[in-house]
Amino acid sequence: MNDKMKIFNTYHPLGLFIYFASAIVITMFMINPVMLTIAIISGIAFVLTLTDIRTFLKNLAYEIPFFILIALTNPLFSHNGVTPLFFLNGNAVTLEAVLYGLDMGIMILGVIYWCKCYSIIVDSEKFIYLFGKAIPKLSLVLSMALKFVPVFKRQYRKISDAQKCFGYYATDSYFDKIRNALRVFSCLITWSLESSIDTSVAMKAKGYGLKGRTHFHNFRFHIRDLFLIAVTLFMDIVVFTGIGTDIIDFRFYPKITQINLNAESIAVYGAFIILMFMPAFLEIKEKIKWKYYVERI
Amino acid sequence: MEILRGENLSFKYAGGQGNAISDVSFRINEGELIVVMGESGCGKTTLLKLIKKEMIPAGEKIGSIYYKQTKIEDMDERTAVADIGFVMQKVEAQIVTDKVYHELAFVLESLSYKTEEIRIKVGEMASYFGIQGLFRKKTDELSGGEKQLLNLASVMVTSPKILILDEPTSQLDPIAASDFIATLKKLNKELGLTIILVEHRLEEVFSIADRIMVMEKGRIVSFDTPSNTGKFLSGHKMLAGAPKAVVLYKEMKGIGGECPVNVKEGREYILKNFDNKIRSVKEYDIKAEASNGTGDIEENAIELKNVWFRYHKEEKDILRGINLTVKRGEVFTLLGGNGTGKSTTLSIISGLRKHYRGKVFINGRKIKDFKRNELYRENLSLLPQDPITVFVKSDVYSDYADILKAHEIKNNIEERINEVAEMLGISKLLHKHPYDLSGGEQQKCAIGKILLIMPKIILLDEPTKGIDGCGKEELINIVKLLKDKGITVVIVTHDVEFAADVSDSCGLLFDGEILAKASPKEFFARNNFYTTAVNRMTRDIYENVITLKELVWIIKENMKNQKIKI
Repeated sequence: MNDKMKIFNTYHPLGLFIYFASAIVITMFMINPVMLTIAIISGIAFVLTLTDIRTFLKNLAYEIPFFILIALTNPLFSHNGVTPLFFLNGNAVTLEAVLYGLDMGIMILGVIYWCKCYSIIVDSEKFIYLFGKAIPKLSLVLSMALKFVPVFKRQYRKISDAQKCFGYYATDSYFDKIRNALRVFSCLITWSLESSIDTSVAMKAKGYGLKGRTHFHNFRFHIRDLFLIAVTLFMDIVVFTGIGTDIIDFRFYPKITQINLNAESIAVYGAFIILMFMPAFLEIKEKIKWKYYVERI
Repeated sequence: MEILRGENLSFKYAGGQGNAISDVSFRINEGELIVVMGESGCGKTTLLKLIKKEMIPAGEKIGSIYYKQTKIEDMDERTAVADIGFVMQKVEAQIVTDKVYHELAFVLESLSYKTEEIRIKVGEMASYFGIQGLFRKKTDELSGGEKQLLNLASVMVTSPKILILDEPTSQLDPIAASDFIATLKKLNKELGLTIILVEHRLEEVFSIADRIMVMEKGRIVSFDTPSNTGKFLSGHKMLAGAPKAVVLYKEMKGIGGECPVNVKEGREYILKNFDNKIRSVKEYDIKAEASNGTGDIEENAIELKNVWFRYHKEEKDILRGINLTVKRGEVFTLLGGNGTGKSTTLSIISGLRKHYRGKVFINGRKIKDFKRNELYRENLSLLPQDPITVFVKSDVYSDYADILKAHEIKNNIEERINEVAEMLGISKLLHKHPYDLSGGEQQKCAIGKILLIMPKIILLDEPTKGIDGCGKEELINIVKLLKDKGITVVIVTHDVEFAADVSDSCGLLFDGEILAKASPKEFFARNNFYTTAVNRMTRDIYENVITLKELVWIIKENMKNQKIKI
């Protein structure tokens, strides 16, 4: 998916991890609609810089029904709030519950977008690097598993094709299909046990098991990584201060509170905007830079 | 300077009967390229494993191997890992990790190198082997040849003093295999690396070796220069897979002194020793054709008309209007480079993939009219590249019984199985686990399984991959046997020699089309590069000589003419 060069992709895994952790965690615990609006718009902006618009629209087909489902579920089951709109089976459907449902829908959609970006940017390689130091064995196992999955899939196809050509698939019945799948699977297990013996011999020949195994990686820590971490942490502090005090406090129940719009809360919103729009901003800046760079060549 | 020495070495596997290696002594000097040859089961792999400390199998050992005066088993662990590199046969199973750079770094990680040191070494290796472009790729995305090159490079990062390779090219196609062997030659010539290589692609490695070790039943029977080994072999039964020039020398009973070991020397040998007054092999052909006799069958077994195929909607076409007719009882071979769609063509004929344009007829019926499994009932069967994929049971006999059951054949099961087993000479293998068989044996047993269900058409996908010269000869006989039974055989292969030996007709797949189907004679005679070793050896000396039999025949005819006694 990330065959195109993305600037955010080139950052050090540590900075990226801190960044995504902040963005996702803050979004997850947010109720304030202003903050959530910032989160979802920035999330969409980021997704759009990473994928093309067609995939984005295609995914909307799943995301919008999901959003509606969440937005509808809350007022149907939660009857808190003081402003009844109408009654359903003797239960009040309140304005507060409807708005809270919408708010939660936006929150969940926002988290989904941010997680999508996370999975594009922080690939297995970066993940292994991050957790490899803490648990070296786990990181090797993960890397071996990742190598094994496509091989396994391909072998499944090969075995299934081979057996099809031998006329094993006698009928179109469902029972037969399951039996055949089981047969292929059992062949696959034998095969993978056999090939794992070879792998373990190769590992031993390459000195696996000697004491003091190190962990090689391909990442370098640059000044800009430090800058990313510093900005992220600073904005985190501002936003968490806002959450800890009641500067950006917002409640739906029992009655919807006012959205705070004073200098302090605007500062918190501003910090959140800087934090969340940073990747999209960096990507766009890079695009503009390359556009002019190309024109200059 | 001596780097490796074996002294009265014998080895018996734990629980095994008899010695796998018996009383072997040898000396190998630094910088030598040694090729080890012998039939399967002669102990070559065991000998190699005894040189690599981490791979020494469980069993009883008498005598020792010394690496620079240290016994292998007394070597320091880290030195043993770093100084002796081992590349195995199985290309995929040897790869441990998911990323190319991680694979290259693996052994250095084991040896506790720091990231910065690893980066330098790995960078150097990747550049030397020309795989820097693959550095950040997933190992899964590489081609077979690239994977084996990666295996080699990931062993070379510790700059070993001895490199051991156990049939490294047996799972590669010939072009990738040639490249791999060229890389080995380069390592040997440029770095003075000592290489010990077990290889069945002898045509290529025979002449680049410094010395060749011939093993038989756990003993070394000859350990000499290629030319002397050729001489030794000409008085010996084991010749399957030896270079054609050596076989020619044997057939000519050693006329003319020195034994030629490659095409170039073979040419000189023929020019120097034999006459070429009679240049044409027409007479021989007429005799051969009379015994062949399939000329008049008009029924088509397979017919492809303007077939187009691509894997995905948005991808390029793999097949671009293929036309092909194969007559009943014909052996047709489809040749072509890597990724030209040879195997894809087979999967279209076998109904595994569906073409999106054109028509395919099997035994006179449209392939689309066959209901799902009807096609595979007494009509057609495909033997895939990797024969292990066809076995579903834990021994060959029950596997055979299982396929008969699946085809609802209930009577005479035992007789049917025994008949097939006898025909293919696999009676001894019936109660073995498929994974315990060698590549050639697996191939034979898989063909046996096909024969049980008696299809009219058999498709073979790269049948010579991973089998040695001996197995190849047996395979040629099996294909002839199938032909005698009136079965149509379609073979996809890279192996020109094999194609020339077995086929009634050949075709070249290029750019999604089959170019000019013709008899092997016509097909290879007009090619200059993509042709058999014998043809290359005799070009401009004799006309249209493709196989060794023809060459021997024409030389003898010339000799009769000259009245020279053999």
